[in-house]
Amino acid sequence: MFIAPNAISVGFISMYLPAIYAGLIVGFIGSIAIAINRREIHILILTDIVGLAMLFIVAAVGTDLAEALILPGLVVELAETLAISEILLSREMHKLEKDKRRTTSLFPTPFLLDMEVMTTAPNFIALVLVVYGMFLTGFTGGAVTGGGILLYAISRKARGLPIAVFDGIGGVSGIAWCLWLIGFVLFFVMPQFWMISLLLAAFGLLLKVASKVGLIGVLMKEDLENEGGN
Amino acid sequence: MKIGKLWNKLANPKVVPRLFACFLAILLIAGFIVPFALDGDNLYLRPSTQTQIDEGNPFAPYFRGGSLLSEPGVTLAQYPENSAYLGMVTSYLSPVSIWLASITPYFGTSICASPGGILDEILYYTRGFDTILESSILMMSFVIASWLAINYTMDRKNDEDEIKNDLKRAIGDSNKVANEVKKSDIKARNKQMRRDN
Amino acid sequence: MDFITLGGNSLGTIPLGDIVLYLTPFNLFLFGILLLFTVMIAFSKPEIQTEASLGGLSNTEVKVTPKEFKQRRFLSVICGLASAGAMITGDLFNFTLFMAFVGILNIGIVSAVKQTSVLNSAFNYGLIAMMCSLPLFGGAAIVLASTGTLSLFELSQMTASPMVVFGILLMLLGIIGESGVAPFFASKAEMFRTPGSPFLVIIHLSSLFIIVRAVEILLLVLV
Repeated sequence: MFIAPNAISVGFISMYLPAIYAGLIVGFIGSIAIAINRREIHILILTDIVGLAMLFIVAAVGTDLAEALILPGLVVELAETLAISEILLSREMHKLEKDKRRTTSLFPTPFLLDMEVMTTAPNFIALVLVVYGMFLTGFTGGAVTGGGILLYAISRKARGLPIAVFDGIGGVSGIAWCLWLIGFVLFFVMPQFWMISLLLAAFGLLLKVASKVGLIGVLMKEDLENEGGN
Repeated sequence: MKIGKLWNKLANPKVVPRLFACFLAILLIAGFIVPFALDGDNLYLRPSTQTQIDEGNPFAPYFRGGSLLSEPGVTLAQYPENSAYLGMVTSYLSPVSIWLASITPYFGTSICASPGGILDEILYYTRGFDTILESSILMMSFVIASWLAINYTMDRKNDEDEIKNDLKRAIGDSNKVANEVKKSDIKARNKQMRRDN
Repeated sequence: MDFITLGGNSLGTIPLGDIVLYLTPFNLFLFGILLLFTVMIAFSKPEIQTEASLGGLSNTEVKVTPKEFKQRRFLSVICGLASAGAMITGDLFNFTLFMAFVGILNIGIVSAVKQTSVLNSAFNYGLIAMMCSLPLFGGAAIVLASTGTLSLFELSQMTASPMVVFGILLMLLGIIGESGVAPFFASKAEMFRTPGSPFLVIIHLSSLFIIVRAVEILLLVLV
């Protein structure tokens, strides 16, 4: 039987001070490291420590609400890392191009991955990951399913086989996005249909995250097959 | 130092993040003189640590009462009129999660098979707008990164020599794989033949 | 301070669960202006710059390629909508999320350019934006811990404790960094030095409007 607490339990209150001080100290260390470091790539990595301190401070509150707030914080941090590292990459490549001596693409030059798993049973493992992701549902499930698709694409590439092109995957992502918005709006307009909204939201999220992660795999399709014909 | 020189230094973009980090560090260290105390009158409360685990509840630490599709669980939302449907979502379990909870006492500690786990349900319903923004941010960063990747950083149409080399290697590799597959095929067939005879 | 003293008589609310959008004449005005600009940007054509070439009398046109143009217009429109949303949101954490959203879109709008100097400043601005997640979300969490609520309406009724003041100060630093005000202006100001004008204007506009809204929120919570 569940008895609802009517105030925050003493344990959380006594833990708050150590937790938030830990957050402040970690944030201080991270920002001082950034302030004295000169190399850009190091600064980029160190900003993650500052983000970690943010998670400390949010988690210190110790309610279900705080737990719900952690996810947006985490995702924003990840998303910014993704975009900014790509900008750093393109800046470096533009610099190389101006150098006239050589134009090199930095990323998947000969894509060599000498791992046993890439040649033995990648299709099976990818399938297991996709099915397991469907089983998990929600955000985690999406990530696992996307990881499966990614593994499939990478293993095909590592073996030098053409990758089946998932051209529609961007579209799937868009549709999932709409499903999800509908679920969200339905929640507020007609809360008595909470069940359908919940399912729309949960499966929309699964599709969305999965197709996002899978998108990276599609990028790997590269020009191998396109140029191979000529 | 003259103030003009200082401004000139600040105009270099490379200095700015480090300067910002300095300010942030100073402010964070100033936090130690602030009297921190957690207010007991918070929302979305959870029971004290470990109690549900000690009770042996399979949904620990996320059990919030209520029963499937009939009785709402107990959650204290910002606006109490939302609590009823929020509670219904909290108590919802998918068939998979019911099955999992019946075979393991640690179901609550995993985050699988629950479209209405406690975390999700707050994010879907009462704080749904936060989630919309959060995943829009994710989507936009994917748009930015993949646009750059497709049109520039991974675009190799101009590196013809490299593509030729890669193609050669790829053909070699796939031949090797095909040969290996053929070899093991023959081996397996021989084995089968021996067994049959 | 009250909503009414700052923004005029309330014209109603849009409740979205915990996040309630407040409609006062002040907020609606900012919201409307931003929407208007967004529409204008969506239907405008990019500028074409001419550069005098060195050692000759001819001029060269600096154009934005159609691909780049599409990407930029898309991100600019989203950026306009996001800043418009930040004008009417009534939740502290939601506002910080809008802030982060606008920050990443600002980077995105200039990400497609070819000038290394612009990319350099975009990268440096991005580093600040990443660091800002600590003061923004951390500040909001400290306010939550101290008062037990994130709703601006409830916060405006309370008197600020030292802890709330600290949380708000953290948030203020985050807002200053994210929108590129005074000592941190360099990286954001350098991002503009590229062709494609109407879309770059939204970077300016969004940070301007968000600062105005942030001041309103600070006054609501503190005073």
